[in-house]
Amino acid sequence: MAGPPKKRQKREEKQEGEMPQKKYYRQRAHANPFSDHGLISQRSPESPAAMDWPQHYPAFATQPGSEPDNQAKNPKTITQQVEIADIGCGFGGLLFALAPKLPTTLILGLEIRSSVTEFVQQKALALRSQNASSGLYNNVSCIRANTMKFLPNFFSKAQLSKIFLCFPDPHFKARKHKQRIVSTSLNSEYAFVMRPGGKVYTITDVEDLHLWMVEHFEAHPSFERVVGEEVEGDVCVETMRTETEEGKKVERNSGMKFVAVFRRLEDPSWP
Amino acid sequence: MDHPFQCIEVVHRIDTPYLLSACGPKLSSTSLSTGEVVSTWTAPGSEDTGLRTEIPGPGKLEDDAEERPAKKQKTATSSATSLSKIIKLTASPDNRHAVAVTDDKCVRVFEIHDDGKLDELSQRVMPKRPCAVQVLPDNSTILCGDKFGDVYSLPLLPKPESSTHQPKSDGSQPPEEKSKPFKPQATTQTVHSKRNLKSLEAQMKQKNLTTKTKQPLAFEHKLLLGHVSVLTDLTYATREVDGKQRGYIITADRDEHIRVSRGPPQSHIIEGYCLGHTQFVSKVCAIPGADLLVSGGGDEWLGVWDWPNFSLRWKFESFGEDTRKALVQGGVTQAEALPATAVSGIWLVPGDLDGRPEGVVVVACERVPVLAYCPIAELRNALPGRTPKWSFEPFDHPVLDVTATGTTILLSFDTRSKSHERLRACKLHITRGECDVLSVGSVGEDTMQAAIKTANSTSSDVTDEKDLDSLLCGIANLRKRVNQDEAADHDEPAENEE
Ligand SMILES: C[S@@+](CC[C@H](N)C(=O)[O-])C[C@H]1O[C@@H](n2cnc3c(N)ncnc32)[C@H](O)[C@@H]1O
Repeated sequence: MAGPPKKRQKREEKQEGEMPQKKYYRQRAHANPFSDHGLISQRSPESPAAMDWPQHYPAFATQPGSEPDNQAKNPKTITQQVEIADIGCGFGGLLFALAPKLPTTLILGLEIRSSVTEFVQQKALALRSQNASSGLYNNVSCIRANTMKFLPNFFSKAQLSKIFLCFPDPHFKARKHKQRIVSTSLNSEYAFVMRPGGKVYTITDVEDLHLWMVEHFEAHPSFERVVGEEVEGDVCVETMRTETEEGKKVERNSGMKFVAVFRRLEDPSWP
Repeated sequence: MDHPFQCIEVVHRIDTPYLLSACGPKLSSTSLSTGEVVSTWTAPGSEDTGLRTEIPGPGKLEDDAEERPAKKQKTATSSATSLSKIIKLTASPDNRHAVAVTDDKCVRVFEIHDDGKLDELSQRVMPKRPCAVQVLPDNSTILCGDKFGDVYSLPLLPKPESSTHQPKSDGSQPPEEKSKPFKPQATTQTVHSKRNLKSLEAQMKQKNLTTKTKQPLAFEHKLLLGHVSVLTDLTYATREVDGKQRGYIITADRDEHIRVSRGPPQSHIIEGYCLGHTQFVSKVCAIPGADLLVSGGGDEWLGVWDWPNFSLRWKFESFGEDTRKALVQGGVTQAEALPATAVSGIWLVPGDLDGRPEGVVVVACERVPVLAYCPIAELRNALPGRTPKWSFEPFDHPVLDVTATGTTILLSFDTRSKSHERLRACKLHITRGECDVLSVGSVGEDTMQAAIKTANSTSSDVTDEKDLDSLLCGIANLRKRVNQDEAADHDEPAENEE
């Protein structure tokens, strides 16, 4: 989606390797997840197989000729699948903190606001270019998506090992609870794209939302809450607390941050 | 002007077929062996039941509804014309019960007596307007999907003591919201970001709204699964694995998805998605014993899926085009003025193969007076690379609903003129010719013709054309309009996130 001409122009004036500036990528905070009509110009892929992954992770593109069979069917493949998803990644603080920590794992941010998505994409390009010698940041990218509707268009069954839900929009009003990113129905979709043993990480500064997320994940038979040392010793938890943009804001205001982690359980056998 | 039969369903009681037909608010049971109308029931007005009627205008779909409920929840003016209309009609597999859904969101269960008479047993008002209902093979559970994306199960016969029933779900449902006194869910001390603060301020302003939390449903129900989309159709399919029957719920939505979940009690488990549609999916039809699923919607093509493997077996690319061609051959010249393809019905009915019933898939598109059909043997046996042969039959009017008895199928037409038949019986002859073409013939059975004549001659109240359109032709509204709501995606300089 094109921004106002001036901003668009400013974005384009940027030199290769130069960091994008947030001020040219701001966008109204609340996009309606129930509406997708604007997404037609950048519609979701029909299915995960239809995704152009090399466009996002060129360093991981399947080399021509290496897998001839595969090539013929779909030339747009990468050597490994995305394993970590940051849902509602915003300006990507967590993504860029995690990427160098897990350089061999593909990480993808999903964001509903197109300008914000573009910022993250530009920042990934700039960081790659600045770190060309080490190859860092080749494993991180971002896609415009309404995850509440289109998660299965991007990921196949049991593909992901981690999902992050950091500082999701709280939607305080009761009649807006259906817009929350965590619900009984949506948890089934998260379970679908996650492999057993994989983890969902949640963090928020709104206690009510924290309790809501805990209640809904704990009540879902596909998840159990992870507690104690396994949470505290997890580098992902630490990163999520300190590196998300929202996490930093809360820090500056010395506010509370509520963290919860859930494990994807094996599906039971058929009755 | 005449009111067409929006839903028809044949049931059999002690070897006698009865036609259940819905005409506006009226539900009738007509014996197909005597031609006699044995029972008539009329839906009450929205006032009688004390229910509010939601009137979704054309195109008023989820996003509008969710965003602007105040505008939307206008109540129907309770004049004599505001009788609730029947929007869905189905029967239990054992034909002992019928389930009708009226547009006041009410699920009504009827007992079908041995003599075909109907008795209304229960009324349950769902939180949102149901869009698909089916009685499971256990003959005791109703599966009910609503247009806001949720699928519930209800006992077919509610237990009398269940008026105080606590809602529960597939073992996974946290207690539903109860009305509670307003308490802000955060304070200005616990909110630190500008966006959350704004949201909280909005909440404070809206507290009068917030306190009106929904009452929990006063009858037994379980939330089985949900889509964040407009749910359009659902079907319960079974298949045998390791000598045991497994049940699946297959759901379709406006956002191009076909989802396959396990049946209850494990409906929280999604088995997979049949992905490939690029427009809304409005109808799905499972073919028992073949592990095939036929799907259609706003795409020009029709899909036949190997649903247990989530793969598209055949894409019938020229479906839309062939439909238009059939119209031109049928004498409709301005075929190019036809609406874009919007599949309004996919049925599995018995065709006639040398007097024996043999399954045929029948497909109708909204506002298009053509039926497409294909014997399931074609779908089942077609070899890779060979596309099953579909046939097209033009009619005078678009087909609204299809049902069958023996090898006779009954069609209801969207005709609003008194001089046209609204109901017709015919046969789909399967001839083992070169290309297995079916032909639609007329049926000679006198009593059935008499029954159909009776039904056709029952006059039904004149209705507003617009009302009829919104009752009968809502599928095309599922198409997304480009640019609509694009405002939601525009860059806005207002917010200053650091
Ligand atoms: C409060 S921000 C948090 C950003 C980031 N996770 C952080 O912690 O700094 C929430 C983000 O979720 C995005 N979002 C909301 N609903 C979404 C949806 N359905 N799909 C994808 N992103 C969504 C918003 O656009 C916003 O950028």
